[in-house]
Amino acid sequence: MFNSKYFPQRVYIEKGSLNFPLTQRVLKNIGQVPTEVLEDTTSLLENMRISRDVIEQGKKVLLLTSQRGEFIKSCPCTPGYIGCNYYIINLDLNCPLDCSYCILQHYLSNPLITVNVNLEDLWSQLDVFLKRNKERILRIGTGELADSLALDHLTEHSINLISYFRDKSNAIFELKTKTVNINNVLKIKPARNIVIAWSLNSSKIAQEEEIGAPPVIERINAASKVSERGFLVGFHFDPLIRYPEWEKDYREVIKKMLETVDPTGIAWISLGSLRFPPSLKAIIKKRFPGTKIIYDELIKGKDGKLRYFKPLRIELYKKIIGYIRDFGGEQIPLYFCMENEEVWRDVMGWVPRGKENLEAYLSFPLDQSKIKLIY
Amino acid sequence: MKKENLSLKEIFLKDERYRISYYFSLEELVLSLKKVGLISPPLVTFRGERCILVSGWKRVLACLKISLSPLPVFVIEEENDLKTFLTAFYENLATRKFSLLEKAEILNKLKKFGEEEKRIVRFYMPLLNIPSTLSLLDSYLIFSQLEPEVKRVIHEKNMSFPSVELLAGFTPQERKLLLPLLLPLSQNKRKKTLEDLQEISKKNDVSAEKILKTKEILDILGTKRLSPLQKADNIRLLLKKKRYPTLSTWTDSFNSLLKRLQWPREIEINPSPFFEEEDFFVKFNFKDQEELQASLHKLQELASREELSEIFKFK
Repeated sequence: MFNSKYFPQRVYIEKGSLNFPLTQRVLKNIGQVPTEVLEDTTSLLENMRISRDVIEQGKKVLLLTSQRGEFIKSCPCTPGYIGCNYYIINLDLNCPLDCSYCILQHYLSNPLITVNVNLEDLWSQLDVFLKRNKERILRIGTGELADSLALDHLTEHSINLISYFRDKSNAIFELKTKTVNINNVLKIKPARNIVIAWSLNSSKIAQEEEIGAPPVIERINAASKVSERGFLVGFHFDPLIRYPEWEKDYREVIKKMLETVDPTGIAWISLGSLRFPPSLKAIIKKRFPGTKIIYDELIKGKDGKLRYFKPLRIELYKKIIGYIRDFGGEQIPLYFCMENEEVWRDVMGWVPRGKENLEAYLSFPLDQSKIKLIY
Repeated sequence: MKKENLSLKEIFLKDERYRISYYFSLEELVLSLKKVGLISPPLVTFRGERCILVSGWKRVLACLKISLSPLPVFVIEEENDLKTFLTAFYENLATRKFSLLEKAEILNKLKKFGEEEKRIVRFYMPLLNIPSTLSLLDSYLIFSQLEPEVKRVIHEKNMSFPSVELLAGFTPQERKLLLPLLLPLSQNKRKKTLEDLQEISKKNDVSAEKILKTKEILDILGTKRLSPLQKADNIRLLLKKKRYPTLSTWTDSFNSLLKRLQWPREIEINPSPFFEEEDFFVKFNFKDQEELQASLHKLQELASREELSEIFKFK
């Protein structure tokens, strides 16, 4: 089994964050890693920004700090495409994995692997947020600006977050990962509103473009264990990437996924094709000179991001959905991440009536009656 | 620093160790020298017996052109190359903006004269309005090593950083083949051509040289009736088709359909950019009621034609 848990080369702790319980927990779990307390991070960041590969350097360092503003943010969907009303908790920022296509390379100004340790503020913010939205079923996760489980052996976030959310009747909480760091998850009691999700790709893309991430088969096996433990699991085929023989490779991984994991325990599968802001292309070219994924027919979409020319996206999605249906996933809710109405209609045969409609469609683990679709 | 009068012959111009500027025009300066003489003395220093020019290449070369000699100079009495170079650097920094290639030369000289990389990045790059990263220092150092004929084109065409970076990614032989194609193009088209060529090459694992020597491109280059601009533009479009084959097929099919429909030229019709949305856009001009009615009539006539339905397949 893949066993490459992340340990930084150095830990920096912002002085004001030293005495938080989470800081002490991370320091206890991290073992013999050099640690330094900083008044502030300005000079650390300045030094790091000079380096030839600031992103790579940033991954070697763990920063324990405090979130000064809101932990909970609306997922930054993209103008002109259909969103899904997802909310993100910015507890950790950045990821020790090094996927060539990762948006975080462009998105975050702070390159350090960062953990916000003031969990007490998070719980009180969540209390207010859930109360304010008690009429809705909210989907919330930690896997947008970080991998939800990559640091879990250090932070034990999964235990705390699942414990918090298990009795929240209007929230579905998702941990999204590419890792197999599931020891803590397996220790705790499952709940109907908790989804542990894996980002999957073809074996070739996982091997060549997802540096540091476990092979796809390991991820599927981890999902199977979590599913057998009683948790709902989810899968995100995002980004789907075209290359010669992509059909055969994706078919293989989907077949394996549905043979290994009970389809009735799958909360959802999302699909998204490769897309990124044009400025990320230069970063990818520089950091991953051997990659070919950015040289396909990517055009500028309505939101200014580069994405596959629409007929190519439609072909990609139709094939992938066909494989999911062929291998026993007919009943699994599927949705697109950042796609437009035309693609929804052409591929899925229906278009969500806005974000709220999609939110309701995906809230089925808690309330099946909320499903209202347009056919 | 002392001021002296030196004969032009005494300055050893073959030693260019401090030189950062090339490819300048001397005409205006020659005119100025003829009218008012050399007002601002160049900087020189001595290395052994030789007098080396530190700053003021344009002035000295203009003097040489009109044989204006002797000329006043300031002599820097400093043996350290880095300190001497910095005198020239600060003199220029205070009075003018540096071009992209001059910045590359400055960074190259600083490194060559022993300045620490980190100090170059932290201290000098901001003075040159370059963000402080080692990766950008690497790029500029590569620019400073480009072939003289390439540097001349970069300078003359005032090529942007992204274009120069792309150009620097090709081999010297490829750059030689590329230069005549780039010269006639505008800044944006030049960048796009370089980008498309680089990306076709990377995607297909074929060298740019091989692509540039394909029959299709050689045929365009060998067509006598085409001007250099037409050749460059045709090659640009050919590369674009190779880079975006499906999109190009769609665009060509859309245009052929318009031809088949005999779509009137005065009414412009376009799909959404890259066919990303389902909408089509129609645009026409009119200056009176009669023209408006005529265009609407044509549109109505087109809308009623069965073949028009084919257009909606492009969405």
